[in-house]
Amino acid sequence: MTDFKTLLFSLSEAVGIGGQSAASDLAAEVLSPYAAVSRGPGLTVVGRMKGRSDHTILLDAHLDEIGMVVTAVGENGFLKVAAAGGLDLRTLPARPVTVWGRRPVPAVFCSTPPHLAKGEESFDDIAKLSIDTGLGPAASQLVSPGDFVTFRQAPAELSGGRVTGKAFDDRASCACLIEVAKRLSEAEALPCNVILLLSDQEELGLRGAKTAGFRLRPDEAIAVDVSFGDGPGVAPHQCGKLGSGAMIGLSPTLDQGITNRLRQLASAKQIPFQPEAIGGATSTNADAISLAGEGVPCGLISIPLRNMHTPVEVIDLADCKSVCDLLAAYVLSGGNKHAE
Amino acid sequence: MLNETLRALCELPGVSGSEQTVRDYILSEISDYADCHVDPLGNLIAQKKGKQRPKVRVMLDAHMDEVGLIITFIDEDGRLHFSSVGGIETAVLFQRRVRFGRHSGVIGGKPIHLTEKEAAKKLPDPDSLTIDIGARNKAEAEGLVSVGDVGYLDGPFDTLGDDLLLARAIDDRAGCAVLIELIKQPAEYDFCAVFSVQEEVGARGARVAAFSLKPDAAIILEATTAADIADIPAEQQVCRLGDGPAVSFMDRSTLYDRAFYDAAIKSGIPCQPKAAVAGGNNAGSVHLAGEGVRTLAISLPCRYLHSPSCVASRKDLENMRILARYMLDAIASGAVE
Repeated sequence: MTDFKTLLFSLSEAVGIGGQSAASDLAAEVLSPYAAVSRGPGLTVVGRMKGRSDHTILLDAHLDEIGMVVTAVGENGFLKVAAAGGLDLRTLPARPVTVWGRRPVPAVFCSTPPHLAKGEESFDDIAKLSIDTGLGPAASQLVSPGDFVTFRQAPAELSGGRVTGKAFDDRASCACLIEVAKRLSEAEALPCNVILLLSDQEELGLRGAKTAGFRLRPDEAIAVDVSFGDGPGVAPHQCGKLGSGAMIGLSPTLDQGITNRLRQLASAKQIPFQPEAIGGATSTNADAISLAGEGVPCGLISIPLRNMHTPVEVIDLADCKSVCDLLAAYVLSGGNKHAE
Repeated sequence: MLNETLRALCELPGVSGSEQTVRDYILSEISDYADCHVDPLGNLIAQKKGKQRPKVRVMLDAHMDEVGLIITFIDEDGRLHFSSVGGIETAVLFQRRVRFGRHSGVIGGKPIHLTEKEAAKKLPDPDSLTIDIGARNKAEAEGLVSVGDVGYLDGPFDTLGDDLLLARAIDDRAGCAVLIELIKQPAEYDFCAVFSVQEEVGARGARVAAFSLKPDAAIILEATTAADIADIPAEQQVCRLGDGPAVSFMDRSTLYDRAFYDAAIKSGIPCQPKAAVAGGNNAGSVHLAGEGVRTLAISLPCRYLHSPSCVASRKDLENMRILARYMLDAIASGAVE
């Protein structure tokens, strides 16, 4: 999985929010040897692989990442921003970011100097925070309201096959889908058609998958995302365990046939997996795709991830391998069409 | 040259008590230009020869150490519990990348999605924070790190705008960079330079160095908080980036020598008062050493001090070098009464 790690790290560092499409460009490029790639709208990348039957399985992962959008450019080069996705405001002070202005502008969130800290700071409003571009009055020539801002954090390897970086939510799943496409392209023939959907605007409310699901009309779909991994303050019933394998979603909103098939395959092929029971909506693209058009039976596979929506997300590469193994096995077995 | 030296210094690890790497680098830079030795606490002391013997013997000090983290306990899950070394705000610990020797880690925490709305407005208790280095259990973690190991918060080095630097450890590698340059240039008067240890844990290194050297006067080269940021009124900004180095009249540990302060402010070299009685530095130890030492502090204004994302001005750094040289000569010549 050395190549996988390299791909994951490249996808992690690339930007993918708003009109900033580097992650999308990269994904389209690396996917194109394995699938017929089309692009748009926005960051969306679609890869199609032909199979022997008319049955079509869609595999989804989202390309977009959380970030901020500039709302005001101050006279002295300080910016105000709004959240684009679920941010933890407490993680922002003194955080290095990149502002995607007329050129990439390195910048940093301001932090309250100690001599001005009055008791406990309340992180209740992003409007209280500012970003320092160091540009002074020249900022207005390079940065405008509407420009996007992303975290600046190079990925790194921890010990024991674990890695950390930004936007592993959900580039880790994007990397898995690209790896799966590679493996499927090496198969003699596919039992069914496969659509790889790398979708946009998940972090803003599953929007990209909603419209793409309608447009692509698959016979069935599996959303691939990240879910909460075990870590400080997270109770065992709230999370999966890093290194314990692919999380298979069990929810009233997910298709039981697909879910059972995934579990059977994982057991039969000794692919490490763990159940993730959810009481209703999954907060993943499965919620949107399952309701696209006349409805699409959906499954959900997740990679356990620590510190979600921060620049220090942590995953175990062994879990990515489990996800790839399971997805490839699922497609090569013909999906849920012949399972009954 | 000053900027390159600062960059090289900022990229070295040197948490208080573990300044060896920084000291080795500085020694390699200055050993051709001064007589150097290392004292019992680890201070690097350099005696620089000038063209003349000084009327007033001046010691210049810059501290090599930076704030950081020390591992205090490794739990059954392989998580590292830690204390901060020096003052670090919880806001810059939560959800950050750290580095312990060759090993990267993260200080993680409960994701925002699982945090109750009210709790999400407050920083977590710093004692609840732990470091994840990827270890699955205690034994794995102990194969990588040990209790007592020190590390630091990691951050990029970059330029912001035309003039500003983004880096960790500008406090006080800025002072070290200026002092290295002063040693490399021909000096008018003999002086001694102290690259001190353990400033961030109580200005300890400079205390013993000042006792040994018994200078008549001292110049502390430091970095200090600049609050010239959005939403902070002018009267609370302390000092501003681009207005030159900050000269202290008083802080929490020192009432500075007034004649030195006045001479610096009136030098004509761009500089500004440190316009607040806040913080403290090695002057607190040095000015009380022995029978007392007349002391001046010249500091590089720095935003987000003690975070991995300090921001300071290269122009200010150059003016700090010029002002330090000017004040060294002025004091050593006896011109400042």
